[in-house]
Amino acid sequence: METPCMPALEMSPAVHATVVSDRREPAPGIVIVGVRAPQLAASIRAGQFVMAVPPSGERVSTALGVYEVEGDRVSLMLVVVGPRTRELALLSDGDSLALLGPLGNGFDCDSLGDDVALVAGGVGVAPMLLPARDLVARGARVTLYYGARTARALVDIALFEAVGATVVTATDDGTLGHHGYVTDVLARDGARHSAIAACGPSPMLRSVARVARQLDLRAQLSLEETFACGVGACWGCVVPLDRSSAQAPKFPDAAAGESRDYVHARICKEGPVFWAHELRW
Amino acid sequence: MVDTQPSLATNLGGLLLSAPTLMGSGCYGSGEEYAPFIDLARIGGVVLKSVTRLPRLGNDAPRLVPVASGLLNAIGLQNPGIDSYLANDVAKFADRPCAIVGSVAGFAIEDFGDVTERLAARAEIDAIEINISCPNVAHEGETFACDPKLAERATQAARARTKKPLIVKLSPNVTDIASIARVVEAAGADALAVVNTVRGMSIDVDRQAPKLGNVTGGLSGAAIRPIAVLAVWEVARAVRIPILGQGGIETARDALEFVLAGATAISVGTGNFTDPRAPITIADGIRAYLAARGCASIEEIVGAANPGYLARR
Ligand SMILES: Cc1cc2nc3c(=O)[nH]c(=O)nc-3n(C[C@H](O)[C@H](O)[C@H](O)COP(=O)(O)OP(=O)(O)OC[C@H]3O[C@@H](n4cnc5c(N)ncnc54)[C@H](O)[C@@H]3O)c2cc1C
Ligand SMILES: Cc1cc2nc3c(=O)[nH]c(=O)nc-3n(C[C@H](O)[C@H](O)[C@H](O)COP(=O)(O)O)c2cc1C
Ligand code: FES
Repeated sequence: METPCMPALEMSPAVHATVVSDRREPAPGIVIVGVRAPQLAASIRAGQFVMAVPPSGERVSTALGVYEVEGDRVSLMLVVVGPRTRELALLSDGDSLALLGPLGNGFDCDSLGDDVALVAGGVGVAPMLLPARDLVARGARVTLYYGARTARALVDIALFEAVGATVVTATDDGTLGHHGYVTDVLARDGARHSAIAACGPSPMLRSVARVARQLDLRAQLSLEETFACGVGACWGCVVPLDRSSAQAPKFPDAAAGESRDYVHARICKEGPVFWAHELRW
Repeated sequence: MVDTQPSLATNLGGLLLSAPTLMGSGCYGSGEEYAPFIDLARIGGVVLKSVTRLPRLGNDAPRLVPVASGLLNAIGLQNPGIDSYLANDVAKFADRPCAIVGSVAGFAIEDFGDVTERLAARAEIDAIEINISCPNVAHEGETFACDPKLAERATQAARARTKKPLIVKLSPNVTDIASIARVVEAAGADALAVVNTVRGMSIDVDRQAPKLGNVTGGLSGAAIRPIAVLAVWEVARAVRIPILGQGGIETARDALEFVLAGATAISVGTGNFTDPRAPITIADGIRAYLAARGCASIEEIVGAANPGYLARR
């Protein structure tokens, strides 16, 4: 399989001192926070992320995808799972929030072809709006396969439809769309697609990788891991990657007994988007 | 009030620093990763990620667990090994506008000598820190810094092979850190880094399994600050060489606790993961503190809260 590398993006990351402009709660435990961040809005690309400096008390910045971008406003989607997302979800209009970004490589939308399956699980939907918009803008057909626990946790379907994507849903409890995993639907209906781009929890991404293999499609996966620095400095966020991958950090053969055909790539720096077939997880 | 701005310049065992703020090993890459967010000319320097004799793939993921007021990590010293490091990486450090301290880790006494010699020979490197206290890899189950004999021999091995300032990084995971500090001072260290991470672990109660791939890890951040301040206090009373204080420093007041306990300079590690602007606000805050007290230099307040330290000078 021919594997172009992810785009080497010209990045100008910076610390952006932003102010919260709006906040809405489309479902319990899911909060969308809009901030004014003109430079970030102008430079962020589909699939890149930001590190949010804790506004009050938490110690480690939080990696967040960028959801909407319009004018000088960007928004972040928070799914409250722990202390840091809880703290960020409490932000309200006028509060300040420092964001580092844009960070990471982002999706390579150009190599996804013209009938793209976007696959999102839970909060994995956040970084999917930008690629959906970009792909539609360059004439591609876009289908969003969107799965969550229950109907209420499937947020903003209309927003994805408004940018021109067809939305196919699945819920664990059957309250909306397919009763079961969204990857089941992809496996059943996905053969016509040109390629896949996915973001969500690791178990879902593994199953996307499996389905992509069965369908003989290339898949770009945006991986999730706990970050500390988010900028490639601490080597805390690694995933085993084929030594031959264009994204693999140059790394000499390790000592006898430790020599492997993979290297540990930093998800925050070399990723967060990787080709599914190059991962050794 | 003094007319001119107080000086933040300091001398850490022969390593001259324009500001007393070094960035902790393993937390700051080589500086370049943070250059987009902060003016590196305004920090004292960077302690590079520890390098070993052979390349290391490091520990399996997950390597990080955020915990209450801190961070657990088990990176496992992933690094390309000294050969590749010298060939491909070190030249890039030449254009950093701050001090560059090489960090050496090892699994045998000879590693500390050999790797130190080769790294210190490079002009890009201003000083060497030996990391004899990494909790995530062990020498026959024991960390060098936890055994006075091993700590002494590792220090001697490095000392014999370089004339550049030699900093030895101590572990808090010991009963009596002062006695280890004395041994390391006698073995030829120019300064002591106090302290590395505190051993710890976290368990996922849903999976009923440890959260870290390596099972155990090192705790850093605000959670360990009082432990680290006490370690600096005790070491400062036991030795005459300067101390590089670290462990949970996030603000100028945190940094001042270490200085007043007896640290000549401080390191920021995990604090950068909270906010990369921290090193600047820390330096500015220390300067304002000195100005408000009419001090001309940070050196005037080192150990000011530690009578045992002052008595030894
Ligand atoms: C590139 C990237 C982009 C991301 N984008 C977003 C985004 O746009 N929006 C977003 O909300 N998140 C996003 N995340 C995820 C987010 O950064 C993490 O979930 C972060 O760890 C949340 O921090 P926390 O302190 O709230 O939770 P943590 O305490 O760090 O929890 C981390 C994980 O542990 C699990 N967990 C924690 N406590 C419990 C518990 N008591 N019981 C069961 N499970 C538990 C959670 O399910 C969660 O998955 C992204 C991550 C990456 C790497
Ligand atoms: C992710 C991470 C990686 C680290 N890697 C190293 C290392 O390679 N060598 C070393 O001497 N110390 C390493 N440390 C320890 C730090 O340099 C520092 O001594 C410790 O974290 C305490 O300071 P802090 O609370 O400011 O982080 C690491 C710490 C962290 C959090
Ligand atoms: S989070 Fe530090 S290297 Fe990725």
